[in-house]
Amino acid sequence: MKNIFLILLLIGFSSCLKLDSNLYNNDNTIQEYLLDNYTGEQDFVLDASYDISPSLIYKFSLASKAPEDASAFNIQAIYIGDQNRINTDTVIVYCHGNKWHMDFYWQRAKLLANTGGKNRFGVLMFDYRGFGLSEGEPTEEGMYADTKACLAWLKSKGLSDERLVMYGFSLGSAPACELTANPEVLKPTRIILEAPFGSAEVMVQDASQLNMPAAYFTDLKIDNAEEIRKVKQPFLWLHGLNDLFLNYKTHGEVVYKNYKGVFSRKIMVEAADHGEIPEKIGFEDYSKNLEAFIIGN
Amino acid sequence: MKRGIQLLISIVLFGLFSCAPSRYVKPLERNQKAVSFSFGGPGIMYSGTPIPIPFSTLAYAQGINSSITAFGALHFTSSLFGNLQADLGASCKLFELKSGLGMSATPALQLAYSLGTAKTLRAWPSGDINVYYHLFKKPSYLYGGLNAWFEFSEYKAHNELQTRHVIPNLQLGYVLVKPKWQHQFEFKFIGMGIPNTPGVVEYVGLNGKGSFGFYYNLIRTF
Repeated sequence: MKNIFLILLLIGFSSCLKLDSNLYNNDNTIQEYLLDNYTGEQDFVLDASYDISPSLIYKFSLASKAPEDASAFNIQAIYIGDQNRINTDTVIVYCHGNKWHMDFYWQRAKLLANTGGKNRFGVLMFDYRGFGLSEGEPTEEGMYADTKACLAWLKSKGLSDERLVMYGFSLGSAPACELTANPEVLKPTRIILEAPFGSAEVMVQDASQLNMPAAYFTDLKIDNAEEIRKVKQPFLWLHGLNDLFLNYKTHGEVVYKNYKGVFSRKIMVEAADHGEIPEKIGFEDYSKNLEAFIIGN
Repeated sequence: MKRGIQLLISIVLFGLFSCAPSRYVKPLERNQKAVSFSFGGPGIMYSGTPIPIPFSTLAYAQGINSSITAFGALHFTSSLFGNLQADLGASCKLFELKSGLGMSATPALQLAYSLGTAKTLRAWPSGDINVYYHLFKKPSYLYGGLNAWFEFSEYKAHNELQTRHVIPNLQLGYVLVKPKWQHQFEFKFIGMGIPNTPGVVEYVGLNGKGSFGFYYNLIRTF
């Protein structure tokens, strides 16, 4: 009996799983990016008026290396706009959510590109490592490194701080917030967070109802609620009041409340669940609100 | 998965406070010892299928006298995630009538310690109160009762107010008693009355509240 007990104890404590690898809902089984020809599940599909001319769609890959990486990974990105005008255009870096890959978010990228007029803004979207055709496995540090690699690419094309807008949706709120709060490559001029995470801790406590440390389950350091304190740039927060995934009150509101910068605006969208904001608010109104925030009205 | 986050983030979350069935609903005899292994947890939807979260615990108990049984348990699923989780408590018989109807109360302390870099210790008091009934005057018995976890923290993450201080659970079970072995089957309505959305986990509950849990506990008595 004693032996069995000891064996069970050893098994129990010999491993130390974390939930981190299960956090990501990436799909890396696709063979190519289909963009408008993608027929899988999407939050919404835009009409032809939002189509992007093929000459303004640039698919490319770039190398990304996080501190813990032995070697760099190739990550995939799409720039919507004229590459030759990055040195004068305003560019939105879109950090997508936790679902699958860029095909799923293509409609959103088109919507951003057409905010305020046809191809008004340049948009850079990319798949974090392990998502879509990007190499590697998703990690939090990797996600930040991939975002930094994209910013470095934009900088090399002439983008400057005052024309960079960071947009983070859901999981993407982590790199957007982190790299706005702690800029390394470029310092964004504005930040937009749609349905953001509060922190890993909020996620755990929302689910457990107890004051339980996130460290019990995850090594994730995502903490938008604290990082946002360092952000001084104008901040726009969008959240659905019916977000059944990331509670607007426990996640979004704590981020908004902790912001101490120069200007903030919130848009609460009635009846919108996670991922439904552009559709519920209406594409036109969504664009108008974004444009007003980006150009500073 | 509902969106984004998959099964295991689900885990332990809403379910951590209900990792095991009610322990030793009917206390052991004086100096009687028992070792038990329990399995089961709250129900969640996984790929469209309801499944119980696979919590597991190993417990040791000893009858202090015929009315009080002390126990301690280690939570294995939790330990796989780098946490030392245990519960310590005592099952106390309040009364037992000749008709076979009895009542017990089980105060306990739930402890969790992160073995990772955070090294954080947290403790939550909990309590059970159960009524049990021996069917046809046989050793096996049915039981039903309430369990609650108590959170005394005033604040939670980011200095937000901790508004919920009691997590109530309802349980119904049956213990099949054999000379050396006992098989305990328990159904729990975990977090009854507590909305289970918004959240990262799709729980199998009732009208958007709580989660149904199923547990099996194998007890060897000595």
